[in-house]
Amino acid sequence: MSAVIEVKNLRKAYGDIKAVDDVSFNVAEGEIFGMLGPNGAGKTTTMEIVEGIRAADSGSVRVLGLNIKRHPSKVKARIGVQLQTTALYPRLTVKEVLSLFGSFFPRRVSADRLINLAGLEDSRNKRCINLSGGQQQRLSVALALVNNPRILFLDEPTTGLDPQSRRNVWGIIDHVRKKGRTIFLTTHYMEEAERLCDRVAIIDYGKIIATDRPERLVAQHFQEEAIEFELDQQVDIEGLRSVAGVTNVIVEDGKVTAYSSSVTHTISALMDYAKSKGIELTNLYVRRATLEDVFIKLTGRRIRE
Amino acid sequence: MRIFLRLIAAQYKQFIREKAALFWTFAFPIIFILLFGAVFSGEEDITFSVGLAVEDNSSVAQNLSAALQQVDAFEITIGERQGELQALEDGDRRAVIVVADGFGESIAGGGQGNVDVYYDPSQTTTAQVLVPIIRQVLDGFDRALGQAPSYIRVNEETLQAHDLRSIDYLTPGILAMALMQLGIFAAVDIVIERENRVLKRLGATPLKRSTLIFSTVAFRLIVAVLQAALILLVARLVFDVPMLGNWFVLIGFVLLGTLAFLAMGYMLSAFAKTERTAMPLLMSIQFPMMFLSGIFFPVEMMPSFMRPIMDVMPLTYLGDALRQVMVESSAIHSQVMNLGVLAGWLVVCLIVAVRFFRWE
Repeated sequence: MSAVIEVKNLRKAYGDIKAVDDVSFNVAEGEIFGMLGPNGAGKTTTMEIVEGIRAADSGSVRVLGLNIKRHPSKVKARIGVQLQTTALYPRLTVKEVLSLFGSFFPRRVSADRLINLAGLEDSRNKRCINLSGGQQQRLSVALALVNNPRILFLDEPTTGLDPQSRRNVWGIIDHVRKKGRTIFLTTHYMEEAERLCDRVAIIDYGKIIATDRPERLVAQHFQEEAIEFELDQQVDIEGLRSVAGVTNVIVEDGKVTAYSSSVTHTISALMDYAKSKGIELTNLYVRRATLEDVFIKLTGRRIRE
Repeated sequence: MRIFLRLIAAQYKQFIREKAALFWTFAFPIIFILLFGAVFSGEEDITFSVGLAVEDNSSVAQNLSAALQQVDAFEITIGERQGELQALEDGDRRAVIVVADGFGESIAGGGQGNVDVYYDPSQTTTAQVLVPIIRQVLDGFDRALGQAPSYIRVNEETLQAHDLRSIDYLTPGILAMALMQLGIFAAVDIVIERENRVLKRLGATPLKRSTLIFSTVAFRLIVAVLQAALILLVARLVFDVPMLGNWFVLIGFVLLGTLAFLAMGYMLSAFAKTERTAMPLLMSIQFPMMFLSGIFFPVEMMPSFMRPIMDVMPLTYLGDALRQVMVESSAIHSQVMNLGVLAGWLVVCLIVAVRFFRWE
């Protein structure tokens, strides 16, 4: 498949801060590409440069084969953009906003179809200011689809939403995916990246530190599984590291994650260790390694909101 | 053009659905007019204490004296030249008219009759209102007798000496104030749209920024004309405030004034990051302009060190221009001057706005 987004050696600095530091990646047609990283990692800046609403210091961006700097409005006519937290026109109704934005494009999808897609049938004549957070977000995604775009850009589409609203937005994204459209999204939710993305780029301090399919990122970095538990007292990390099969131990807020290449051995050895030290282990469970673990391994810290 | 109209329609809907905006745009100036009109109604016409000394006993001099005493706006005190001039110096008179000895004789002889008018030229209201009325009365004689008095510094404009009441003076000022608010408070909407990232979201569509700006400006100009029409209509119906001048000149000044203040609004929006910082900034601009531009209070009530400030306020010039067109009061500044200063403000604000304006 051909690349519909080609980014090469992109750089953008704000004063001394390198928001985007030599970022290169490609997104293939029909792919859902996710950029995963903590706040301030450079996700939004990168995305906005690709969308043509922010200028890069250096580097090149081609979208649908067009240089974004030379043909910004041609590109803008063919892509759909959802920004983080857009309040839009507070006193226009859902339908009015959709048809207003539709009027900016030569080709457009009818407001009614978008309202159905976003599940906003009951709110079509509601003013934007009266929408709930979840409804506003769905409207914002629907607005990004108003020109039937070939590429959909979603900047943290579910940040701050309750689980129900999040699933609603995921539903819209699934629908767009089925139509074979390309989606470029950013998120700092691991499970969102795992659930939605064909390919994920992990970004931190303006640099991409890994790019691959989510399951391959995990497989590449972890043969181990993760054993998590909580402790009622101060823990001796070195002692835990010496338990059979344990490859690494991370402690955060009284929560311990021990990575083990042999869970069977580790669990029984861990029980013996706890008994001998008189430690109570609570909430113990075993899970496979996830993108979160990859992120911790690569950056030494957790993604936080 | 289709997009342009859609944007205007969107602004119209946004506008009429916000009660606060409707109130400040339409109700507030009307309340101002009704309030001022009630306070200064009827008897409260502006009257001027004028000293009159007639040193000539001819019948033509007596006729002139009688004519002057019939002017509603004058409260005539008859006295001697020296005494009246002293009263003028003491501030008890706004002007003194002296019909000099030999007035009738020289006219009868086909010569020039001397009428001396003394007033303090730094008193703007006097210059604006009183002198034209005197001039008007004297002109009536002038036409019959040939020569005007030589002591009067008269403005270039031809003037109608209809009664200028407070409300006539205030209405154009309130219109100017309303247009100023319409213009500079556009900054609030711009700041909100920037804060809400509406501007940024629009920037991610093929919509041209020029189309967006033109539609915003056009919409506000439409509102300005509606505002002017409403203010003039209410003033006319309730207080019989006339519109004596040329409608095209009036609309021209309404549009130019709105444009100048809109440019100022765009400029100010560049210096406020959030709605919360925009409001105090705008207040700190609008209140001095309101009170230092002679739209409510005669300028001479202000201490003289403030004069230079007043002389640069665009609202001074817009108020003066509208007043001249509407009630044909005599000029503080010529209309060309008013036009020039407003256009100057427009250009300067535009340059600063273009330099510092940010879309996000």
